[in-house]
This record gives sequence, structure tokens and C-alpha cells, in this order.
Amino acid sequence: MEQRVNKAAGNSYVIEVENLVKRYDDLTAVNGISFNVRRGEVFGLLGPNGAGKTTTVEILEGMRKADSGTAFIDGIDVGRQPKRVKSIIGVQLQSAQFFDHLKLTEIVSLFGTLYGKKVDANDLLERVNLEEKAGSYYAPLSGGQKQRLSIAVALVNDPVVLFLDEPTTGLDPQARRHMWQLIKSIQDEGTTVVLTTHYMEEAEELCDRVAVMDSGSIIRMDTPDTLVEELLATGFTHDRQPKLANLEDVFISLTGRSLRDE
Amino acid sequence: MSHYWPLTVISMKMYFRNRQGIFWALFFPFLIMIIFGLLDFGGFNAPDIGIDDRAGNSASKSLIEKLQGSGDDPILVISRGIESTLLAELDDGDLDAVFVIPEGFAQPGRRSTVRVTTDARKPQASGVAVVVLSDSLENLFQEMATVPDEFLIGSRFDIDQATIEGQDQGFKGFLVPGIAAMAIMQGGIFGVVFTLVRFRAQGVLRRLFATPISPAHFLVGQVITRLTISVLQAYILLAVGALVLGVSIGGSPAAWLSMTLLAVLGGALFISLGLAISGMAKTEDVAAPVSNVIALPMMFLSGVFFPVDSLPDTVARVTQYLPLTYLADGMRAAALEGAGVTSLGPEFLGLALWTALMFIVATRTFRWE
Repeated sequence: MEQRVNKAAGNSYVIEVENLVKRYDDLTAVNGISFNVRRGEVFGLLGPNGAGKTTTVEILEGMRKADSGTAFIDGIDVGRQPKRVKSIIGVQLQSAQFFDHLKLTEIVSLFGTLYGKKVDANDLLERVNLEEKAGSYYAPLSGGQKQRLSIAVALVNDPVVLFLDEPTTGLDPQARRHMWQLIKSIQDEGTTVVLTTHYMEEAEELCDRVAVMDSGSIIRMDTPDTLVEELLATGFTHDRQPKLANLEDVFISLTGRSLRDE
Repeated sequence: MSHYWPLTVISMKMYFRNRQGIFWALFFPFLIMIIFGLLDFGGFNAPDIGIDDRAGNSASKSLIEKLQGSGDDPILVISRGIESTLLAELDDGDLDAVFVIPEGFAQPGRRSTVRVTTDARKPQASGVAVVVLSDSLENLFQEMATVPDEFLIGSRFDIDQATIEGQDQGFKGFLVPGIAAMAIMQGGIFGVVFTLVRFRAQGVLRRLFATPISPAHFLVGQVITRLTISVLQAYILLAVGALVLGVSIGGSPAAWLSMTLLAVLGGALFISLGLAISGMAKTEDVAAPVSNVIALPMMFLSGVFFPVDSLPDTVARVTQYLPLTYLADGMRAAALEGAGVTSLGPEFLGLALWTALMFIVATRTFRWE
């Protein structure tokens, strides 16, 4: 409970980024970006492949050093104290797996101890609907289950900010909707979420604000609604009028919402 | 600090749950040991017999001719000498049996006892020697038609089966400690390389890097697990050598201490080498051949199967400094001669220097991704 109070306290910006630059040889992956993330919001980083989203997130996670610029998370300088930052954030990495020969409860507990915390593994697994898989090994899990486990692991230290890097890539529509529910429930508990995604309907569904990146720069940042209104104000129309339902709605109504991964 | 323990426990759990891994870590060296042990290269040659001919008469001369056989390939390879020298050679493993022909051999009316000393650890050679001797005496008896009836073959020789605390236990004795050393090398290099390259490919290491722990926390757990396995592997293989191949191992607590320390230091060395390889190799496709290129020549050049001095001089001059040579030599000295830690100075020094070097390379090349 103390942690919750703490999360709501202090500066209203939990992430503050200024003039962040990251170069690889002659490629400038991140070109002087600045943005702030408010406490408790779901913030989306959008952009085509190679736009610099993942590099930006990895700098914030303390996994890469920026060449210049500053980034603070909850008032801690990421460049100077990466370990302190790592200890207060939760991280779900794109395509990172866990140990094959461990049970899910063991994986969750192990990561708890890496943060110096004793965690209730079953409770965390229940939060991501994996309670039935608690005693099974990691290897045979389905893609959606693996993603949910990685969220449970990311929550072991009750993080101030949760970073999710393309959390629904490769999931079927049922699993994706389930993941959206989960992310919303995490936000409801007061955790700030930074999300990168290629799915615009996902950003629209989840994000309070989005930043659109291209070629290492943020070219636009606002609420999804405002961005859509702005585009419409320029006289934009679809060639075809969209219908009130799309094929995904048909798919869900035909196959139901219940999760399929056994 | 408190991170070391859970990561060690976890890494142990993962290792022992991976049954295939355990199977190959033990089964492959075991298989090689059994195959080569059964082949027993030492047993292909005609047994070497030392004879002390105290009679020096025509009958003893005739007996020795019979023992040698008439063909191009001698049945027994005979060397002459006095009993004490011959027994020493038997003790060193240079001879397979010693016959002593008594004074006044085959004189009518006398019991002539040919004393035979064999090496209990060379049952094949001993068996051949005794059978050939018995046949030859039988032949000699029939040739000497004039001897009285009481001159009985059965009373003419005794067989004295010696159990010698010798320096040499034949090829099997040479093989068993060598295989234990080889297994430590294989386990260190391949175990670490494949585990780490897989963890890296799966992004497991990247995920750990996203937590506040440092590489040391993770690596220490891995190293402790591997060292434990390295020692267990050595014990199990030496025990198999003792029980299945009949090689007598160790004996004194000092020898077991040597073997344990050698397994730990050798384990640390090859684990570091494995870490260095996995740090430098970018993918699994590169790591496997690189590991083989390093491990395979050592297997054959470091005195695991054949003594280093059986190699050409120029090669032997280099291979005596290979890490596996130090480990195999040390293991052999401890297992067969009961060498204590203090008498294994050069081996421990060689291993320690290699370990330090490999550890430096390993820490320099370690990557999370």
C-alpha cells in the first residue's frame, strides 16, 4: 500500500526525457528526442520499423547508454544510475524468453529475488491468468502464455513504470484482447505503462497519449483522439466509408472471446 | 551478494532437470572408456616374460625354446635376468610374468618347481603365460622318455599369483584417469558454450540484464553448478574405471584430495575457456565448430589415450603445455600413484596459469546480447 501512495506522489511526470541522442556508427537511431510521461498514464511509442522506438525504450530501461541528452525515471538519472532505475521499473522485452527447465512459479520467484523481493508467485501468475500453469515448465507454453508470464515477471518488483515492447505481436485476436484487459488493469492499479506497438487499433484502445517516431525523431505527440481529429480537419477521408464493424469483430463474434492457448 | 545463492540453486535445478545433458556428460566418456578399455591395446602383443634360468642345463634350454615357439611370431617374448631385477620390471609393468627355473631342473628323480609370478591386473597375459608354460613342460616331459614315473608334471611347478602395488596398470590404468580429465574438459567447454549461446539466442541473458543484477551474479551461479558437475563426473568415471575395468584408483585420502582439487581447477579452467568461446562466437553455428576445433585435437594430443611421449618430439614439446595435458597427467599421477597435492606442483601451476588466462579472456568477452 505504501508503494501505491508513493507512486502517486512527487513530480507529475514520472519520465522526463531531454534531447536524447543515440548513434550507431553512421546511423543516428535516436536524434535528439524530448518527451515527458505523466504518472499513471499509458504512453504509446509508435512508428515504423527502424524509427528508434526500441532504442529509446532500451535507453530508458538502463540497457543502453545514450550518447547525449538526459533521461530521468522517477527523478533518477538513467545514464548515471542504471541499476537504481532497473530496480524500480518493470520490463517486458521483445522476443526475450525465459529458462526452459524451470516451472513458472520458480521463474517468478527467481526474478523476485533478483530484485531482493520475496514474491507470491501464485498471486502474480493469477493476475495474468496463468494460475493453472503455475506448476508447468516454460518451454511448452503458447505464445500468449509466454507473453503473460513475461508481464507477471515484469511486475515482481511492483514497478513504478512498466515498459512493454510490442506485447501483442504474434498473438491471436482472443489473446490480444486479453492482453489489453491486463494492461488496463495494471494501469488501474496506478502503474505507468510505456508501450511500443505496430498496431494502431491497440494504441487507440490503450494509450492516453502517443508519440509518433520516424527516423529517430518524434514527429507528433498527443492523445489519439486529438491526432485523429486533426487529420480529419485537413479534409482527410477514406476512399471507402468504413463500416460500423470490421472483419476482426466478425472473427470475435464467430469464435468467441475465450482464450485458446491451453 | 544475496543474488548468488538463488541463481546457483536455479542453475543446478536446470542442469539436473535436463536429463539429456546429464546423459551425454556421463555416457559419452563412459562409452569411450569401455570401448577403449575392452579393446585393451596392451593385450594385443605376445606376453613379455622374464626368465631366471638357474639350471642352465640342456633341459632348461629346451624349455625356453619351447616357450618361444618356432614360428616367426614368438608365443612369449623372453628376456633373461636374475629374479630380483625381473620382479622389479614386472612391478613397473615392463614384464607380464616372471618364471624362475630352479637349479638342477629336470634331473631324474627330483621335483622341479618352476616359480611363476604374474601380474594380477593383467589376467589375459598371465593366463597365456601359464598355459604356454604348462604345455611346454608337458612336451618336455614326453621328450624325456627316460624319466622315472614319480617325476610328475603336476608337481613340477607352482603358480604364485602376485598382487603388486605397481606403477603401471596397463592401458586401462592409463586410460581411466585420462578419460576423467577429458570428461572435465568436454563438460566445461561444451556445457558452458551451448548453455550460454542458447541463453543468449533466446534472449534470456538480455532479460537478466534488464534486472539490477551484474553479470558476475549470473556467472558465479553457472560456474558453481559446472564445478559441482565436474567433480561428480570425475568421481563417477573413476569409480566406473575401478568397478568395471578393474583399475585400482587412489587409495589414500591425499590422492583423493589431489583428484578433487584437480577436478575443481580443471573445471574452472575449461569453464572459463567455454565462457571465452561463447563470448567470442556470435551464434550457435559458430560456437559448435570452434569448440570442436579446440577440444578435439587436445583429446588426442594431451595424453588422454596415448602417452604424450609417443608423439613425435616436436609435437610433444608443444603439447606438454596444453591445459588438458596438465589435467590428464595430474589425474593419472593422483589416481594411479597416489600423488598428493605437493608432488603435483607443475600440474597445478600449469592449470592455474591457464585458468587465469582464460578467466581474463572470458570476462573481457562476456556479452549479455
